[in-house]
Amino acid sequence: MPGVIGAFRELDSTVEAIEELKREKMGEVTVYSPTPRHELEDAVGAPPSPVRMYTLIGGVLGATFGYWIAIWASDYWPLVVGGKPVASWVPYTIFGFEVMVLFGALATVLGMFINSRIPRLTMTVGYDARFSGGDYGVWVECPPERTADAQSLLRRHGAVEVRSES
Amino acid sequence: MATALKPVNEPRRPNIATADVQLPAVKDYEQVDREIMATLHPTTAWFIGLGVAITFLIIGAAAWIYQIYAGLGVAGYNPPVMWGVYIITFVFWVGIGHAGTLISAILYLFRAGFRTTIYRCAEAMTVFAVMTAGLFPILHLGRPWKFFWLIPYPNWRYLWPQFKSPLVWDVFAILTYLTVSSTFLYIGLIPDIATLRDKEKNPVRKRILSILSLGWRNSDREWRHFARAYLFLAAFSTPLVLSVHSVVSFDFAMALTPGWHTTIFPPYFVAGAIFSGIGMVFTIIIPMRKWFNLQHYVTINHLDAAAKLCLFTSLVVGCAYMSEWFVAWYSGIAFEKAFFANRVWGQWWWSSVILYTCNMVLPLTLFKQSWRRSPTWLFILSFFINIGMWFERFVIVVPSLSHEFSPWQWSSYAPTWVDYAILAGSFGWFSMWFLLFIKQLPVIAISEVKEIIPPKLKRRHDHGIDPAGRHLEYEPTTPGESA
Repeated sequence: MPGVIGAFRELDSTVEAIEELKREKMGEVTVYSPTPRHELEDAVGAPPSPVRMYTLIGGVLGATFGYWIAIWASDYWPLVVGGKPVASWVPYTIFGFEVMVLFGALATVLGMFINSRIPRLTMTVGYDARFSGGDYGVWVECPPERTADAQSLLRRHGAVEVRSES
Repeated sequence: MATALKPVNEPRRPNIATADVQLPAVKDYEQVDREIMATLHPTTAWFIGLGVAITFLIIGAAAWIYQIYAGLGVAGYNPPVMWGVYIITFVFWVGIGHAGTLISAILYLFRAGFRTTIYRCAEAMTVFAVMTAGLFPILHLGRPWKFFWLIPYPNWRYLWPQFKSPLVWDVFAILTYLTVSSTFLYIGLIPDIATLRDKEKNPVRKRILSILSLGWRNSDREWRHFARAYLFLAAFSTPLVLSVHSVVSFDFAMALTPGWHTTIFPPYFVAGAIFSGIGMVFTIIIPMRKWFNLQHYVTINHLDAAAKLCLFTSLVVGCAYMSEWFVAWYSGIAFEKAFFANRVWGQWWWSSVILYTCNMVLPLTLFKQSWRRSPTWLFILSFFINIGMWFERFVIVVPSLSHEFSPWQWSSYAPTWVDYAILAGSFGWFSMWFLLFIKQLPVIAISEVKEIIPPKLKRRHDHGIDPAGRHLEYEPTTPGESA
């Protein structure tokens, strides 16, 4: 999808540009910023991250696997020591907990990767190296007939550079 | 929507939380990039340091090869003292790692602002300390190449580890800790690696950084999921750090040995671990902020806040020492009482003196603000803490094993040159990794420092800083808010 990218120096200009782009229903907006800012997050108005579901599922699976491997192996080789139960839940909670943390953490990272669409082999259109430095970038996807409108909107809000990409 | 600014009326005081966060000498994002990236250029001193670290590592590796060739007997083990320097140093290094997770994860959850500029260093310290610690149980094995027997894996003989053994608990705890703390470090590094990638001119390095940054491009989508993932990783790391040293303490507490078999061990070990780790953070960060000219990032306020944490954990550890004495007396068990008397008046009295002096007495100086705000004193104190915490583990391991229930079991212990060489090698191994890290990747989190720098604004007072040099805050109504 073609679009227009605008580079901004100031945070408030960026926020105002995003708000107007959304009011004008120009198209899907992607914002680049050197650091996460609540102001930008609020202006974009994205839904909550679903990473939490990956964390929950990973954690539950991990706890289950941790208990299961200890109980299964003990039951498979039922060596009674000191009259204690073969499958003893108290020490096995250590395995349940540790594997829950391990799987939960790895699932969280997986969820972040899937939802952020990384690893990415090539830079997508609209990105500029300055956005990891000090500038903010606003990329708006729009059809060719609205490109001029989008460019003028971004310039009006103080974009220091505006260009079309496809 | 208007972005109204007002000056922070309170003068900056050393002890208020907001002062810990502020970096008045850091004006804009470009300055952050420039100054932190400047630390990545190798210097002659760095090469010399790396050379020294690798030399120590070679000495340790040579001693290990000799030990494998000649057998564990060369390590100074003498019945009944069959745990010695290796187990002491294992617990020492695991403990060092804990402060890193405390600073990076627990203080993140508590929104303690002073962590921002020191957490990357502490987190890297955690990973390298756990990598070092993980070597010692293997070094301690008679046949180190069989260490994988502790991991449950399907095998032809249908053999499984003994899941009721604390040594197997250790394997799970340490491997999980290493994996999660490395992941936490790497995830936090991704945006900074992307910043390095975008500034890099060398095509080979740019390619490597592009791969390591996973194509990160600072979009709102990426930040949204990143923030959530980082929060959950911190939430996992917090109980994990408490569990790991608790599990390490079970290695001792599960044994029916005087001085070990006590329920206070898990909290006692965790507090000691955090205390020792903060000591190591000072050892690393105080010279580093000077050599890298980062005093305006890691400010005296940051050191002051970390020193308070150090003082607090020292008091907790001191309380645990006193509780051990109380438990021994209150238990009415003759062996326990005799053991604690032996700890102070027996053959190892000098190690107890080192322990109590370094860990309980000297940190009390941190009650005085001027001492907390003296980098020189904190650096000197950190050495005493490191020594004291190594001796804490010595006092736990050696006197207990050398003074068990029956007098015929009583014996002595003397580390050999192999023990000392491997101990020195562990410091070489740790330092080598750390030195390599600080010249490849930023020691201060670039993107997080940018979060606490006031952003450039169209309606602004000199980029969010008033004429007196104080940072300005947003009014309750900030850009993007609907109300």
